[in-house]
Amino acid sequence: MSTTEITSTKLVSELEERGQGAFVETFDEQEGRMVINMGPVHPSTHGVLRLMLVLDGETVIECLPVIGYLHTGIEKECEDNNWRGAVTAVTRMDYLANFFNEQAYSLAVESLLGIEIPPRAKYIRTLLAEMNRLSSHLVWWGTQGLDMGAMSAMFYAFRERELFLDFYEMVTGLRMNHGFIIPGGVWEDLPLGWERAVRNITNLMPKRIDEYERLLTTNPIFLERTKGIGAISAQDARDLGATGPIARATGIDWDLRRDMPYEAYGDVSFSVPIAPEGDVYARYRVRIAEMRESVRIIEQIAGKMPKGDFRHQDPKLVHPPRREMAHSMEAVIHHFKLSTQGYTVPPGETYVAVESPRGELGAYVVSDGGTSPYKCHVRDPSFVNLQSLAKMVEGGLLADLIASIASTDPIMGGVDR
Amino acid sequence: MNVTTIAAAEWAERAEKLHSEGWQVLDLHGLDRLRLTPSEPRFEVVVQLLNQERKERQTVHVVAGGDPPSVPSVTTVWPTTNFMERETYDLYGITFEGHPNLTRILMPDEWEGHPLRKDYGVGKVPVEFIPQPIMQIDSPGQTPGSGTTSVQRDRLGQVLVEGDSP
Repeated sequence: MSTTEITSTKLVSELEERGQGAFVETFDEQEGRMVINMGPVHPSTHGVLRLMLVLDGETVIECLPVIGYLHTGIEKECEDNNWRGAVTAVTRMDYLANFFNEQAYSLAVESLLGIEIPPRAKYIRTLLAEMNRLSSHLVWWGTQGLDMGAMSAMFYAFRERELFLDFYEMVTGLRMNHGFIIPGGVWEDLPLGWERAVRNITNLMPKRIDEYERLLTTNPIFLERTKGIGAISAQDARDLGATGPIARATGIDWDLRRDMPYEAYGDVSFSVPIAPEGDVYARYRVRIAEMRESVRIIEQIAGKMPKGDFRHQDPKLVHPPRREMAHSMEAVIHHFKLSTQGYTVPPGETYVAVESPRGELGAYVVSDGGTSPYKCHVRDPSFVNLQSLAKMVEGGLLADLIASIASTDPIMGGVDR
Repeated sequence: MNVTTIAAAEWAERAEKLHSEGWQVLDLHGLDRLRLTPSEPRFEVVVQLLNQERKERQTVHVVAGGDPPSVPSVTTVWPTTNFMERETYDLYGITFEGHPNLTRILMPDEWEGHPLRKDYGVGKVPVEFIPQPIMQIDSPGQTPGSGTTSVQRDRLGQVLVEGDSP
């Protein structure tokens, strides 16, 4: 049996009386305890996260996350789209890691279809996913610095993030919510000149990561505010279902890319950084090391990029190329069928997980044999990781809570879906 | 994929066994089989488990019978299922016996219905409002209550009961 309890008894009883959404703010004079709400509108809560806190002076006694402010019913929306169209919905969940959402969903649909995608498609997906991990970690690094009072960190991180967004725009046409990875491969081949754009990034990033490290890693103020703060043990992380950098910062040596390889991860060599302390600084070090590993993976993937098809060639599954439609009646018929009705997927269920920048991102997809998903559920790492936040902050200072939130790196679009 | 289906009564015991064997829950969510074959039993709780040592995954379907459908909570075994069970309750109306705080998590508290159920109409609810008391304004020249029709409305303005006021 586990030892971790995440029930906030006092707040829960208060909320039972007055409703979950109630705006409870009290001050108990005898005990000297105060209930305050942090958020949903607060710059350091990274979106619309609301934390109900019981404070004793500056010490956090209890912390209860209240979520749902960004709930847009994306899972319900998927059920009304066709199989291809649902990609457009799922990509909006975790808005800093769009490619991972698309990838998890597409892998799940492909496993239901029982198809194998061409190697080039796998490599393109892996390339984009690792780019996305870097750009997502850059936002985390910038906000972590910003929340710790190092405002310039944000400027540095967003300067480099622009390179990645430009690359996405070059490849997919959009800077976010791409809908580029589809069941069966990717929507288009890489554009001319992609090698040069990738080389620019891989040449630049190691130097820039050194620069980041010079700014924060040994900064005495930053160390003071992150070392030994918000620590959880490996057992806590396991009990609370934390995955990704949070788990790896407690010493859990687990990475889906290495341990259960998918796409092209079996063909590249990289190491999985872990740190044993479990505090904010350990998470910082793990993520910085992950950024360096991602650069290594991108270099290898770009060097090994195979030639060939960039998506599955079954005309019943993917749209025919534009040029074929000018002279082939069959291509027009396929295009019409795919655009109006979509394809069907054999009945069944599947759960496929990928390693997103925040942890395990899983897609559970059920088909009833029709042209749209019967059910599409996404296990978003932010949603689950948020539960470990209470464990990190209870007993600490209110100011340290900010450090812990930033190091949890929750994306509310993924939490509330 | 390794899938097993078990009854709700077996779940608590099974959970203990799985936990002691090193399985950890990564996801727990509902499934409404209304338009699947077989469509009975209608509600299931689907649990995705991972064993890191053996590098294996398995899926357990727990049949949720009764009205409202209910299964035992496993928050004491795997604390991570706290949010997941609340989400399942919120979106499917499946209750979890023994959950410490089984309230809505994504939808507003005063929401009616469970949106991911298959018989929940999309677009049924036009706009979401917090309930407000409806003011009854009597037209001029009439004494209050005489001859006016009282209309009882629900919080979305739809007429529930129409009748003469006393």
